[in-house]
Amino acid sequence: MLSLLIFLPLAGGVVAALVPGAGQRGGRVAGFVSVLFAAVTLGLAIGLIAEFDAGGGLQRVTDVDWIPQLGIHYKLGLSGLNLFLIALAALIWLVATIGSALREWERPSTYYLMLALGETAVLGAFCAQDLALFVLFFDLMLVPFYFLIGIWGGENRVAATTKFVIYTLVGSLLMLAAAVATGILATPEGGQVSFAFSDLAQRPLSNGEQEWIFLAFALAFLVKMPAFMLHGWMPDAYRAAPTPVVATLSGVLSKVGAYGLLAIVLPLFPYATVHFQELMLAVALAGILYGSVMAFSQRSATLVVGYSSIAQLGFITLGIFSLRPEGAQGAVLQMINHGLVVAPLFFIIALLAARSGGSDDLDRMGGIAFRAPVLATLFLIVALATLAMPGSANFMGEFLILSGVFEAKIVYAIIATAGVVLAAVYGIRLYQRSMHNRVGDAVTSRDIKAADAAVLLPVVAAILFLALYPQFVLQRSQKSVDTSVVATKVPWSPR
Amino acid sequence: MDVVWYLVLSALIFCIGATGVLVRRSPLVILICLELMLNAGNLALVAFSRMTGTADGQVFALIVMIVAAAEVVIGLGLIVAMYRRRLPMDVDQMSELKG
Amino acid sequence: MSLATYSWLVLAFPLAGSIVIALLWNRLSGRVAGVIASTAIGLAFANAIAATIKLQERPEEARHATSSLWDYAATAGVNVELGIFVDPLALFMCLAVSGVSFLIHVYSVAYLKSDRGYSRYFAYLNFFVFSMLLLVLAGNFVLLIVGWAFVGFASFALISFWYRRATATSAGMKAFVINVIGDVGLVLAAILLQRDTGTLDLPTVFARAPQVFAHNEWVIVAICLLIMVGAFAKSAQLPLHTWLPDAMEGPTPVSALIHAATMVTAGVYLIGRCYPLFQIAPTAADISAVIGTLTLLFAASVALVMTDLKRAIAYSTISQIGYMILAVSIAAYSAGFFHLMTHAFFKALLFMGAGSVISAMAGMQDMDRMSGLRRALPFTFGCFLAGALALAAFPGTSGYFSKGEILELTASRGGLYDVLYVVATIGAFMTALYAFRMVFRVFYGAPCEEAKQLEGGHLAHVEPFNPATGESEDTDVGFPGEQHHVAEREWEMKVPMAILAVLAIFAGLIQVPGVDDLVTAFLEPTFAGAVLHLHASDATQMLVLSLDALCAIGGIALAWFLYVHRPGTTAKLIERFRGLHTFLVHKWYFDEAYELIVVLPVRTVGRFADEVFERQVVQGMVNGTVAAVRAGNSLLRGAQTGVLRDYALLLLVGVGGLALYFLVVAR
Repeated sequence: MLSLLIFLPLAGGVVAALVPGAGQRGGRVAGFVSVLFAAVTLGLAIGLIAEFDAGGGLQRVTDVDWIPQLGIHYKLGLSGLNLFLIALAALIWLVATIGSALREWERPSTYYLMLALGETAVLGAFCAQDLALFVLFFDLMLVPFYFLIGIWGGENRVAATTKFVIYTLVGSLLMLAAAVATGILATPEGGQVSFAFSDLAQRPLSNGEQEWIFLAFALAFLVKMPAFMLHGWMPDAYRAAPTPVVATLSGVLSKVGAYGLLAIVLPLFPYATVHFQELMLAVALAGILYGSVMAFSQRSATLVVGYSSIAQLGFITLGIFSLRPEGAQGAVLQMINHGLVVAPLFFIIALLAARSGGSDDLDRMGGIAFRAPVLATLFLIVALATLAMPGSANFMGEFLILSGVFEAKIVYAIIATAGVVLAAVYGIRLYQRSMHNRVGDAVTSRDIKAADAAVLLPVVAAILFLALYPQFVLQRSQKSVDTSVVATKVPWSPR
Repeated sequence: MDVVWYLVLSALIFCIGATGVLVRRSPLVILICLELMLNAGNLALVAFSRMTGTADGQVFALIVMIVAAAEVVIGLGLIVAMYRRRLPMDVDQMSELKG
Repeated sequence: MSLATYSWLVLAFPLAGSIVIALLWNRLSGRVAGVIASTAIGLAFANAIAATIKLQERPEEARHATSSLWDYAATAGVNVELGIFVDPLALFMCLAVSGVSFLIHVYSVAYLKSDRGYSRYFAYLNFFVFSMLLLVLAGNFVLLIVGWAFVGFASFALISFWYRRATATSAGMKAFVINVIGDVGLVLAAILLQRDTGTLDLPTVFARAPQVFAHNEWVIVAICLLIMVGAFAKSAQLPLHTWLPDAMEGPTPVSALIHAATMVTAGVYLIGRCYPLFQIAPTAADISAVIGTLTLLFAASVALVMTDLKRAIAYSTISQIGYMILAVSIAAYSAGFFHLMTHAFFKALLFMGAGSVISAMAGMQDMDRMSGLRRALPFTFGCFLAGALALAAFPGTSGYFSKGEILELTASRGGLYDVLYVVATIGAFMTALYAFRMVFRVFYGAPCEEAKQLEGGHLAHVEPFNPATGESEDTDVGFPGEQHHVAEREWEMKVPMAILAVLAIFAGLIQVPGVDDLVTAFLEPTFAGAVLHLHASDATQMLVLSLDALCAIGGIALAWFLYVHRPGTTAKLIERFRGLHTFLVHKWYFDEAYELIVVLPVRTVGRFADEVFERQVVQGMVNGTVAAVRAGNSLLRGAQTGVLRDYALLLLVGVGGLALYFLVVAR
């Protein structure tokens, strides 16, 4: 079932590439086929949620010996941690595919194939329950995005791609080394090597080993998010990437990093997690403050959202490393929320840019709400959710995160609240500078078409649903989050 | 006769060939000099073969001749192509592989 | 139907109205949106009355109810339900909010008639009322914060309603950000309460707090101070008041709504609602009382010099809220809420009157340009006068009894509270002075040009312009509307004003010292747990009430002397006290100070982060790596000359070198 979910998008991509007439007319046919497959994938993901047992542990496990000599399993499974991230990925990819199908592309067959490959890799990384398999999918993500930005990107795409690849490759290679080391070092004398999470959790490493392996993993994940000081690739990549790609990049790929911290680092390296807790909290806090300050000094709307993501992912990291169940629960909720708000924001910015002479410069926008009330309303809902307006699920996420950090390290929590105020500033500024005030010189205000609304509405509906009922997520993730967090609490003796 | 004299002659011919490759700029002459170097090698191989009394060296020499023939074919072909395109007959000017 | 059902309906109608209008925004013609919105609030008011009747049927100790729809977030020790808590205080607020809001809705139906944002306006307005009702009915802190923030957002939306004006959007942003600061205070307080009492449920928190916290322990004081940050941000108390005068950028009925019924009274409600916490933390309560008193004095002093009609009323609101904060902080709860109610009546009335005046002046808000509108706007004049009398606490009016009760209870606590009492009394005198300064400057004197035209039956008309900057508006945008509407010509404006005028004068009669105490009796079940039951002795009561009356009459008399009898006196006074006047006109330089202390540093940090840190350090890391690699490869690249003979030489040297090496090694 999970294998089907993972490889269905790729199959869709192949079919879309091979279908007769795929390359003609900017790839309308290929786009249509891709949308179809993405929709079925989302349907599968929703089915998984419907049949998920909130009280159970790992579910729908597929476990096949893949490379027995190296102890690598093809092991997939569904837990409270990845359940909603899978659905998020499927939803954002559907929206991104619809968004792609609305315009014409050069070499469309390849484009849709790459897009689909990206979805397969992300879903695989979320589902993988084997460290080697996870690393494989994690690195596989890089390939389609390298091409997606490098070929179909805008201005300055080569430099942007190079930066993106160098940053993430450094992280990935460190992680590969660390993963191999984990598998080998954890194997007891004469035992069989295994990379399955369940086995590794039973075979703790010594303190010294955990420390450097933790750092390697953390670096890989923090680059992907991106976290403060490791975000050098972000501004160029976000500006160069086509809108559907940046929506998936920021909406879903960044969550793989956060998911990795919660699902892999916490249970496998409990000693190092506690040891480096303050460091990680400090990085997260710096990200919150720096991202927020940068977000309200930017003129480019894309970068406002980009830097705000650094701040939001700072909150998520803060919640995870509070090492408290409520903080981690908040982090899980916030991962979903952030994915749901950031993807439509990028589409909205594309729509705004289309109305202000093709530029995403806030100084050149203004007054777009005048003849575009529907667009303005959708933007307002998303913007308010972004700044974690109470009443949105984002608020509940931040509330839980802050609760957790308050219990753990009160000083960090108090400083982090500055981020909440700053979020209001950049969120409202983004909305006002584009929608309100006098109409800008190059601005033509017109409302969105039904097709554009089809991109935004599913996500906005999801935002509103979670705003009314965040318990939907919290209830299902509770057990797995507890398991992850409890691992760091158990008094633990080195081998 | 001592094998050393053959080796000295071989080394002399090799050096003449190498010097030719290094100092001359005409591709044709360079090709001739290359042949010279190859045949110097052949001489040494045959001399050793004679000294040890086995056929190994002669077999090597035969293979070198075959390679030399192939080389001459390709080399002369290139030179003819260059001539046809009226490219300068000067290897120093053909430096497009510069990094 | 049960009490809880009625209470849910109170919430449901405004929300439904807002959603219906928002979804049908382009299909509603004419005044339909206004009618839907007014009906929704009217139904909410009716349900609030029904709920009150249900509540009063119960025995006194059972006058509360909780009800919840579903689990909102119940995980990891945090347990939040989507639930309400109904008690006399909540219903008192519901009645005041929905009742006054209903009248303001009806007024708006006519006032905003020609505005092209008509549907949007009423969708926001209904949402505003819904938020406020959610705030007062919330059963736990999370839902309270949700209502709290929704109110902040709704105020942002309505303040920047005419979003083509840069002044309006920046005022909206200011209101939003200051409100978020308040939200954060409240969130921190809620998290601390959750940590220490293990729950967020309002009644449970209040029940557990006395056992969990020691008397005046620093944690509970901190919690109360954080709650005060929230309350002060919303109620525009020092030092978080700067957004309220700017909020005058919104349409005038919005000002009435923000100032009278909703929003600014939320802080008073919050402190009243959290009284069990403030009882354990008397230090925080005292700080709150002092800030309330300082605010009332500060705002009254600024209101004395404001020339913008709406801003003058805005400062009077800040000042009156100061009285309420003072009251609920010194445990004079019912007095505070009594004043909240009477203030809602007369302040809504004053704003409605001001709206009518501004319409008559074709959008002009400057009092320097107004005079002698008495004959041109007789009905508005009568209503405004009623409101001003109540504001000035003229004996017998509603404001007199409510403010008098606050003053006498402050005096009854004795000790240092006497200082607060004296300051509050000085404030009362200033209130009367600035209230009638407005009346005399606007309605008395020689009629101005617009007044003369209106007496001749012609309403002044100019192209729409921004009164703050004088900038003209594009008429094709359609908001603000081209037409102006005065109460004399629109019954939708007239009826609410008449009702409010009657209430402003006579509503005080429900709680006259020694005669009846309807408000206190009604609220008694909520405040039954109060430790301090303040009661002023008859002598104090007599003394305070007569002093209050004296202040009111003296203030009115002085205003009459300054503005009617000897109109030139003020100019001389300004000349004499130029420094003081400038200080007051600049509103004690609060805005300038914030610009210097907060805005400028943050902006500088932002610019530093953007221009120095990001470019030099973060990008420097990338570019440094790239440069190092490049330097390395340029060295190697030099070897690739492309000259065949160089390669051959290299080859020879290499082979020769290797041969030599082996020769040497072999030896």
